[in-house]
Amino acid sequence: MSSILFIMLKSPYEYSSLDHLAAIGGDEKTGVILFEDAVYFAVDKNKGQELLDVADKVYVMRDDFAARGLASISSKFLLIDYSTAVDLIMEQYDQTITV
Amino acid sequence: MTRTLTIHIRSGTMMNMDANIMVKLARAATDKGYKVNVFGYGEGVTAIKEGQDPRRFPNVGRAMDELAKQGVTFVVCETCCSARGIRRGEEIKTAKIGSLTNDLSRFVAESDRMVTLAR
Repeated sequence: MSSILFIMLKSPYEYSSLDHLAAIGGDEKTGVILFEDAVYFAVDKNKGQELLDVADKVYVMRDDFAARGLASISSKFLLIDYSTAVDLIMEQYDQTITV
Repeated sequence: MTRTLTIHIRSGTMMNMDANIMVKLARAATDKGYKVNVFGYGEGVTAIKEGQDPRRFPNVGRAMDELAKQGVTFVVCETCCSARGIRRGEEIKTAKIGSLTNDLSRFVAESDRMVTLAR
C-alpha cells in the first residue's frame, strides 16, 4: 500500500470542502502537515474533526503554531519540528501533495 | 546513495511565509544529509533577487546564499524572471536563472521526493 502526505498552507476558512483529500487519499495511508495558517485546523473543533475524518494522522508545525500565539492543542494532533517534517517527507510517506 | 528532495516554490518572498518554509525545510533536509534542489517558478523567482532588504522579516536571499554554500542548488525559471523584469546579473551569485525544461525536469527525474509550496 502506498502512502500520501498532504501539505496544507491555508487557513481552514479558505477551504469549502476537504472531500478532495478523501478522494485522492482513498484507502491509502494518509498524513497531513499543517503549515502557516493551516495550523488553525488544530484549534477549531469542527474544522479539526473534518480533517481528522479524512486523514490518518495530522501533524502541526510547532513554529507556526507558536507564532500565532497558540498553546493548547488536542492530543489528536501531533506537534512537530522541521527535522521531523523532513523524516515524514523523505522516509515515512511515498509522495507529497500540496492542497 | 544520497537521497534528494526538490522544493518547487511558486510564492514570492514577500507574499506570505512560503519562502521561509522553503528555507527551513532545505536547511533541515541538508542537516540530515539529503541533497536539496529548489526551483522557483512564477512569483517564486523573486527569491533569487540580490539585494533583498526586508528589515523586519527574514532575509530569504541571504538565507539561500548560505544554504547554497552548504550544497543546496537554486534555479529559477528564466521566462518568469523576464516577465518580472529580473535580468541576468541581478540574481544572488549562488543561484542560477534556468528553465523548466532543462532544470525542473532534471530535478524531478533525480529526486526521491518533491514538495510544492504554492497557493
